[in-house]
Amino acid sequence: MTRGPKAHGVAVGDKPMPQIQFREALRAAMTEEMERDENVFLMGEEVAQYHGAYKVSEGMLEKFGPRRVIDTPISEAGFSGLGVGAACCGLRPIIEFMSWSFTLVCLDQIVNNAANIRYMSGGQFKVPIVFRGGNGIAHQLAATHSHRLESVCARIPGLIVVAPSTPYEAKGLLKSSIRCDDPVIFLESEKMLAEKGEVPDEEYLLPIGKANIERQGADATVVSYGRPLQRVVRQAVAALEQDHGIDVELIDVRTLRPLDVDTIAKSVKKTNRCVIVDEDWGYCGMGSGILFKLQKRCFDDLDAPIEYVHSDEIPVPFSHPLEEAMMPSVDRIVTAVKEACYR
Amino acid sequence: MMLLIRRFEERTYQEYTRPGQKIGGFCHLYSGQEAIAVGTAAIFDSAKDYLVNGYRCHGHSLALGMSPRAAMAELFGKATGCSKGKGGSMHLFQAAVGNNGGHGIVGGHLPLAGGMAFAQWYKKTGGVTFCFMGDGAVNQGTFNESLNLASLYKLPCIYVVENNGIAMGTQVERSSAEKDLVERGSGFAMPHYAVDGNDVDLVIAGFSTAKQRAERGDGPSYIVANTYRFRGHSMSDPLKYRTKEEAERAKLRDPITLYTDRLKIAGLLADPQLQEMEQAVAAEINEAASQADADPFPALQDRFNDILAEKYPFEPK
Repeated sequence: MTRGPKAHGVAVGDKPMPQIQFREALRAAMTEEMERDENVFLMGEEVAQYHGAYKVSEGMLEKFGPRRVIDTPISEAGFSGLGVGAACCGLRPIIEFMSWSFTLVCLDQIVNNAANIRYMSGGQFKVPIVFRGGNGIAHQLAATHSHRLESVCARIPGLIVVAPSTPYEAKGLLKSSIRCDDPVIFLESEKMLAEKGEVPDEEYLLPIGKANIERQGADATVVSYGRPLQRVVRQAVAALEQDHGIDVELIDVRTLRPLDVDTIAKSVKKTNRCVIVDEDWGYCGMGSGILFKLQKRCFDDLDAPIEYVHSDEIPVPFSHPLEEAMMPSVDRIVTAVKEACYR
Repeated sequence: MMLLIRRFEERTYQEYTRPGQKIGGFCHLYSGQEAIAVGTAAIFDSAKDYLVNGYRCHGHSLALGMSPRAAMAELFGKATGCSKGKGGSMHLFQAAVGNNGGHGIVGGHLPLAGGMAFAQWYKKTGGVTFCFMGDGAVNQGTFNESLNLASLYKLPCIYVVENNGIAMGTQVERSSAEKDLVERGSGFAMPHYAVDGNDVDLVIAGFSTAKQRAERGDGPSYIVANTYRFRGHSMSDPLKYRTKEEAERAKLRDPITLYTDRLKIAGLLADPQLQEMEQAVAAEINEAASQADADPFPALQDRFNDILAEKYPFEPK
């Protein structure tokens, strides 16, 4: 179970909160938004008749019909660009990628078309589109299927990049992303889809471009997002408190572009120490970008250099022990936080 | 209109090449291919149709009603340009009339065309999307993906290859294993045929067939409009790959002369009228160029505008 809305400051009353899977939260967000707005549709490989490669869109074809839940051939450039063209002409497409690794063949559509058309036309078009799918290292998919696209996308002006870390976050952030008039890169993880968490029945929306202080703390600020939070960071934070007496302030940045630097900087001003954790490669990785935004703002507040825990700079290996070894672990995070605290 | 496009491009050539060059970047002229853009405009309904293009987009933009001043100002990088000086020669947009842009990456816009046609189909607007490309674009992967998707979904899209025989400096014979570009449109279960792209009447006839098919809901078509570009690929092209004889031969099939001769024979146009038109066009281009020249560059602060549509943090209601 992951942290539910209580951790996010939402009043829940006495009623027990329903527990739903991450994939169900995504499905609920898409379903609610499609019910709300006729111009929203879902398109991607196996989203309709197969019910989604990872069963995210299960039942949606039956509910909305083949006009609004549309299977595509294996043509990422073709259907992602089709989505951009449709978005330019008044629709609000949700484009599902089976994996963000497959977007390397259609980055032209995302980078040159989705991100640039508004600017190059002098603001004549808006591009309200959501590209969503599994990002990052899943489970023994080897180097070609384990890419982390966040640093590739988050450096592009004109794109919004969102990475949810719980079912609650997934639903609220996806609903807001669908209502957003800009192109949103929505990064999920195959390994999070079965994860359960508390999600209220009532409708709610979460802000884009606002980080979430997931846990208040006094000794060090840990900054992370998405899958690493679920896989290792929360565990590491608990271990730091229990085993080492270090009280961590944990920030889920939620939105990688635009980055909510204010919230992070405010936290670092309080704790004077900062550790960034992601699964990207370190050099030119997502954490490097966050570090760049922080180093000048926080320089005078820091008692130690900012630490960055990232994956090893190797292609992602197939063999399970090697794959596990390349990624940030609870131990690596604990060591980095201790180092930042000179402990 | 063909005359206006021709003279606009000649002026563009001058402004690009003369000392104190006012046009920077890449610039691709449309001279010789005018009948295609003008024929399209004749059957284009600006209220519901869309046009999306590669980077050789001056001609279509003028034909769909862009003022020569807005076009020239864009080439000059001025604030009054159609894209506020943020697009330049390859990226002329006029959304209000369905001109969804010139696009700079060869073949990069082909998927977009399907999406625009998809929006027309989804909203049942009755409109169609014209997608223009050069003969080089058929060799991009997006060509295969886009035509297949459009036919699969029966989208109201018309793909037009403006075949001027040469992709930058590489002749069709050296870039396409199948020499007949019409055949490259086979395998998609859609009509594929050629039209004489130098003859505006034949362009109108050939494109109308495809438009009617799209409007009936029968899906897309693929048309090769054979033509010839009088100028180089871009401004830096010395045209070493073609002979003088070839160019002279092509000029005999100049789309403007072809059409004006036809009108003269039919008694619909006389030389004095043609001269008047020439003068009016010359005056219009002159005025547009001097206005564009006098227009201001964008304010430096404007470089930060038109990137995102929302304010962040974004908190939807």
